Parts: sequence; structure tokens; C-alpha cells
Amino acid sequence: MTAHEARSGGRLLRGAHRTLTGLHPVLESVLAAVLGLLVGALLMYIWGYDPWRAYWALFRGAYGGSYEIASSIARGVPLIFTALTFSICVRAGMFNIGAEGQMYVGAAAAVCVAYFKLPPGLHLLVGIAFAAIAGAIWSLGPALLKLTRGVNEVISTIMFNWISRFLVFYLVAYVLVDARQGQRTVQVPVSARFPILVRGTDLSYSVFLAVAFALFVYFLLWHTATGYEVRAAGLNPTAARYGGISINRTILLSFALGGVGAGLAGAATTMGLPPTYAIISGLPELMNLGFDGMAVAMMGRNHPIGILVAALFFGGLNAGGRVMQFYGSNPVPLEMVRVVMGAIVIAMAIPELVRVFPAIARSVRRLGGVFRRDRATEREGA
Amino acid sequence: MSESSSRSAEENGYFLRAEGITKIYSDGTVALREATVELRPGEILGLLGENGAGKTTLTKILSGLLPPTKGHVVSPRGPVRFSSPREALDFGIGMVHQHFALVGTFTAVENVALSQERPLAPLQLAQTRAKIEELMEESGLRVPLDVPVEKLAVGEQQRVEILKVLSRDVDLLILDEPTSVLTPLEVDELFRFLRRLRDEGKAIVLITHKLKEVGSITDRVVVLRKGEVVGDVRTSAVTTEELAQLMVGKALETRAGRAVELSTDEIPAHAPQRHREERGPGVLHVENLSVAGDTKPVAVHDLTFDVYGGEIFGIAGVEGNGQTELVEALTGLRPALKGIATINGRNILGLDPRQIYKLGVAHIPEDRWVLGLVLPFTLAENAILGVHRWDEFRGPLSILRWRKINAHVRSLMERFEIQATGPSAPAKSLSGGNQQKLIVGRELAKDPAIVIASQPTRGLDVGAAQYIRDILVEMRDRGRAILLVSADLDEVLALSDRVAVMYEGKFMAVARPEELDREKVGLLMGGVSVGGKA
Repeated sequence: MTAHEARSGGRLLRGAHRTLTGLHPVLESVLAAVLGLLVGALLMYIWGYDPWRAYWALFRGAYGGSYEIASSIARGVPLIFTALTFSICVRAGMFNIGAEGQMYVGAAAAVCVAYFKLPPGLHLLVGIAFAAIAGAIWSLGPALLKLTRGVNEVISTIMFNWISRFLVFYLVAYVLVDARQGQRTVQVPVSARFPILVRGTDLSYSVFLAVAFALFVYFLLWHTATGYEVRAAGLNPTAARYGGISINRTILLSFALGGVGAGLAGAATTMGLPPTYAIISGLPELMNLGFDGMAVAMMGRNHPIGILVAALFFGGLNAGGRVMQFYGSNPVPLEMVRVVMGAIVIAMAIPELVRVFPAIARSVRRLGGVFRRDRATEREGA
Repeated sequence: MSESSSRSAEENGYFLRAEGITKIYSDGTVALREATVELRPGEILGLLGENGAGKTTLTKILSGLLPPTKGHVVSPRGPVRFSSPREALDFGIGMVHQHFALVGTFTAVENVALSQERPLAPLQLAQTRAKIEELMEESGLRVPLDVPVEKLAVGEQQRVEILKVLSRDVDLLILDEPTSVLTPLEVDELFRFLRRLRDEGKAIVLITHKLKEVGSITDRVVVLRKGEVVGDVRTSAVTTEELAQLMVGKALETRAGRAVELSTDEIPAHAPQRHREERGPGVLHVENLSVAGDTKPVAVHDLTFDVYGGEIFGIAGVEGNGQTELVEALTGLRPALKGIATINGRNILGLDPRQIYKLGVAHIPEDRWVLGLVLPFTLAENAILGVHRWDEFRGPLSILRWRKINAHVRSLMERFEIQATGPSAPAKSLSGGNQQKLIVGRELAKDPAIVIASQPTRGLDVGAAQYIRDILVEMRDRGRAILLVSADLDEVLALSDRVAVMYEGKFMAVARPEELDREKVGLLMGGVSVGGKA
């Protein structure tokens, strides 16, 4: 290889890098979704399914009509909350994967409204407050461990997820259990349920709470001094400290606000999603909403508005997947939808991968430089 | 000066020769200009120079960490070129860096073994241990072998680094400011050991800025200034005063008979120095202040000084002598060990930065990328860092008044000549000079009683640097107190009404610039006391 070839190779890589990183973040997310769907199609093809028909079924099941769209939005609502939990903490410079556990606790707290009577509306508000407070309190564990003992929030939130999971298993089985229906908890009374927004669908008014919370987070982060402090601390904690910002405060605040979001996800699921209005033993309705929220947050670029769009997409995958698994003579199992979600998350990481290109280009150029010097010394030696 | 003059290193034999080395970094900085240095076996060579003189760059080129832009390194066997430190090590060149390359959770044995292993080769801990024990026996450098190195004292960690290099049977040992982290006792021990190595015939290079050390340990000394070799003399044939002059710049005939060309001050004298009577009331009062460093138990020792309104109080000195810790303590970023510090009579120790700013402090930090700016933030967002809670920018419910903030940024851009596309341009898109102007503008917009400026012109082009100096002088003329910390001696001498020279956490002297000549300052910076008031 000559130096010239090495240089043009570097130029090629740099060009590829510029093209890929120059993409608008929105395009990057769309690209990741397309890549995820392609990977899913490839797997379906390998296993003998017809990807075209499957995706057609999935699309119709997700966005084929007003019922389907309503259903997709309904599945997206809890994801909006849990995605915001993750994003708030990312903006504050932390990797909080505790939404799952905080959501369980929020759901359990919401169910508690079954034990007292209040006028409709007020009863709902009290339930929402219960869930939000419970989620926030649960998030304070990892936050305080981090502040006082320096425990990494990734470790502590994973641990708190397990604690919460088995705590709620216990509550469902022994404390909140419905005496007549042993497999689930007591039901949230009608006076404390989110009213149904579109008759005949499971879309309730909880969607407004989700959108309002997303807008609130947006406003807080970009239009208040408090949010400014959170973002500054997340991007450069040293400069934030220099700017008189208390990092402890921003950590505590972002964890607590994230906990509120996760708690509300629990409320939206137990109080706003027909038909059960209770927690079923084994938490099938809740399981993984927190983790899926992280995927939504990544696809939404940790921006509240992006999250709203991404949640609609992921809600659509969930709703459409249910249709897909019953469609045709050789239906594609629901698990394939999770494969697509996983592939999207990996594809979202590719833009980071792309940043490796300049490093490669540099080393190729350096190689070229060495060759040039070699020849120079040869000439001098001659 | 040293007993070593009689020692005859084979006068003609050399181990390595750097010939006409020029190094230009990719950002255009010329770190070395046609530098020629010879390293001889059985000799301790001192490499002396101020910050940025090119000492570290030269040793990095010698040890294969950096390629030279021009020139080459030759050994008696012909030209050598290393593409990695490992190749240099195989050739017999070992370097002990200022910042240790140790795995904190590994023991000394494991760290040494790590440096020896080839990829995929099995670890040979037992052999390594035997080898280290043998080396410790020979060298007298003792370290605990079975404790994670992060639990060791800094001096012990350094010994692990040295053992690591020695275990590779090096012929040339380069040490970058090895004494800056050591206690005097540890320094003595290190020097005894280095002399022994020299007597065994090894070539040793010691990077330093401490003149005393040069006198006590080196056989020969090479002085670098602004990337050029300005002196190459036997230690016994030169006085400390002469070395100081060489280091900070003043013509001197070297023993080689070569006249050293000297640049006079590039910085024009500023607004005429004002008389002491004109200075205002005391603003900053510091008494018996001691501050801990990151690696040193005490970085600032018992400092006492005052800064008055209408004066620039300059602190000169080689970096790493406690200036950073002093500034951090005064701005709430680092706790003090003991002492008093007040601004207009009000205590500032123990307060957080925001409370200190409220007392009228503006802080131009030494590192604009790490401390001064949030690079991904926009100009507007950066322009309110630290003042974002002021009523001017923040309405009810903590809502930021973006319109007012943007107007403020536009006026800053105009007043401080900040070249940028607008308030929403990301700070990282600005040039270094414009970034610094943004910081200066933000800080001065606080209308402070005192400006604490740390290395305010570092890395800036001449125009931007001059602009910032002018602003500091203007602030002084408007009666503000200025505490200027700078490693740029010319800058401190040109701007300050009073100058303190800091060395190892203490002021060697406080004087008016006209009472100090460069030779004196050079000595003081190198830790040599001179007659005069302190």
C-alpha cells in the first residue's frame, strides 16, 4: 500500500463518517427503526415466515384504523412516563434504570385507593398523587446511596428493581389481594379510574396526563433555572460546580422527578387501562414497561417531544404485535416484536459506533506518514 | 557546585543524541525548535525550563511517545525511530511520568508484571516477584509488594514506577518532575539512588524547574526556553543565577561560547504603574491560609496577603506550586485546611461558589473547557452560568427569561468583541479566544469587587491575549481589585502593581515589579531565596 492509497482510504472513511454523523437526530432515529424492522424481517425469513405479510398485519394492527390507533396510544402511555424517568436522569448525567421498580411501587400505591371512598375526580387525583409519591420515595433510595455513600446508580437501581418486584409480589399475594379473586388485587373503584377517551377502546384520559407530564419536563429542563442546573450538571459537573450549582441537589431532584414519572406509569396502567384495573399476580400488565421506556427514551433522543413520537411507535409495535400473532395460516409469534425492539436499541447505538471512524482515519493517515518518512530516510541514506 | 565535575563520563561516547528536533503540534504550536541534546552514559542531565518550554515534548520524542516533525534521534549504532514506548523500552529507554501509569487495584508485583507481558503470554508473577526483590535489594528502593498500589503513599507509587522501568534493564532513565510529589526525605532517598544508577553507567534525564535540584544532583544541564535549547553547560561551570537568567530569558554567554539570543518582552508596558497611594481599600484579606492538594497533603502553606481595590496583585511562579489550590480555595471549589479569607470583611471560607459570587467575586478559571464553560451549551446558556439565578434572568417560578438573556448575550458579544453567529451558537463552535472573551464578559458583567483571574490568556493568540489584558487593566483603573495568577512571567510583570512569586505553596517574595528583575524572579521561581523583603 502506498501512502497515497492510505490517504485516500482515510478520506473515504472520513467522508462516510461525515455523512453518517451529519444526519439529523430525527433521521438517525428513523434509520434505527428501519434497521430494526429489517433485522426482524431477516429473522422471520430465516425461520420461514413471510415478513411482508407479518409487517402488513402489524401495521394494520397498529395504525390501521381509529380503534387500532387508540389502542397503540394506550400502550404507549406508560412508556412515555418511564421513558421520561430515564431521560431526566440522563440529562442530569446519570444512568437510572430504576423506572421498572419505581413503577411497580407506584402501581401498588395506586391500587390502595380501593380502600377508601372519595368523590369521583378527587378519588382519581388522590390515586395519582399516591402513585407519584410512592415512585419518588422509591427512587430516593438509590439517590441517597449515591449522595452519601457514592454507590453507582446503575447497581443500586437494579437492586431496587428486584426488591420492589418481590415486595409488590408479596403485596399482591397477601396484602392487597381481592378476597374473591385470589389471582389479583382489589380493583380500583370506578370513581378513581381514568375515564375512557374513545368508547370501545382502552384509551383513557391518562394520555393527557402523559402528554402534560412530557410538556412539563420539557418546560422544566429548558425554561427554568432549575432545569438549567440539571442540564449543566449533566453535561459538565465541574463547570456546574464552578457556576455555583449544587450537584447533590440536581441528582436528588432528577431522581425524585424520575420517580414521579415511573410512579405515574404505574398509575396509568392500574387506573387507566381496561379491563382489569388491578394488579394481577405475576404483574403481567406491568412487566418490562420500565425497560421498554429506556428504549423509547433512546429512540426519542432523551427529548420529551421525541419521546412522545417514539412512544407512539413502540405502543404501535406492542398493539400491532398482538394482531400479528393471530394473522394468517403461519402467524408470527409476539416475541418477534421484542426482537425488533431489541434490534432498534442496538441500531440506536450505531451513531456512537460511527464515531470510531475518525480514529481509524487518523491511524491510516499516520501509517501513511510513516511510509513517507521511511522513503525520506531511504533517500537520505542513499 | 557538584562533586561530579571530576566524574569522567566518556566524553565522546553518547547513548542517544537528539539532532535538530523540531516539533510542531497539529494546532500549530511550535513546541521545539531545532533542539539538539546529547545524552551520555554515566551522567545525570538536568532539563531545565519554564512551563511550555518544551521539556516534556523533548522527552516524549526521546522515549517514542511522539514523532518529531523534523530532525532525528541517533544512537552510536545509527538513527533510531520508535513508534511506541514499548519499542523505546526494548531499546533501553524508560520514562517515569509525572502522572503514574499504574493500575490502582493491582499490587506492585502485578503492575510490574503487567508492563512486562506480551499479549497472550501467561503471567509470570513468581518470576516477576523474584526479579523485583532482587532489584529492591540492589537499588535500596523498597515498596510493599502485596498491597494494592492505590493504598501506597505517592512516593512509594513513584518507586513502583521506577522499579517497573528498571525491571526492563534500561540504559536511559527519564524522570519528569519526579520530586514535585515527594517529601524532602523521599527526595534525598531518590537522589541517592539516582547517583548510584549513574555510577553504574546509566544515562539519566531529570526534568525539573527547581534550581536547587539542578545544583545538587545533575552533572550537566540543558536549559530550554520557548522550545529552543538556550544553554547546555556542565553544572559545575555555571551559577544558579546564570541558570535562572537562562531559564527566564536574558542574554548569557554559555560555556560553549555561543551567545544566547534573547527575546525582550513581547508585552508592552501597560498603563503606567500607578503609585501605591492610589490604591483603594483592602478587598481580599487572606491570613495563614493552608490548603490541601490532590496529591500533596499541603499545597498552600500559611499564606498571608491582601489585595486592594485599584491594584493588580500578580502571582508568578511555575505551575503546580499551589496557585491552583489557592484560587480554588478562594472561590469555594476546595476546602481550606486552616486560616482566614475575607472579602470586604466577610468570611468566604466554607461558602459555596454561588455565595462567594454574591459577595462580588468574579472568577476567570484556569481551564476554560473544564471549568469555565459547558461546551455543548449555547452561548446564551454559558453566559448565565453562575448568574442564572439572578432576578435579571429569572422570573417567578424559576422561569428563565430567555429574551432578556439573549439581549444580554448580544450586548456581551458587542462589548467584548465575541465573534459568533449568535446567542444560540454552541460554545464549542467558538475559537479559544472567543470562548475566553465570553467567560471574561460573563464574569465582568457581574460588576465584581474583585476579579480572580487564573491563567487568563493561556493558549490565546496575541490579539485576544492583549485584549483580555487590557480589560483587566481597565477594571483595575475603575477601582476593582484583581488577583492575577499566571505562569507567564512577562504578563505578570507587565500588568501587576505588586507581584508575589509562589514556590511550593509559599510566597518567596512580594514586591513591586520595578523592584524585581527577571534574574531575581527566575531565582525565586526556582526556589532560591534572594535578599529583599519577603
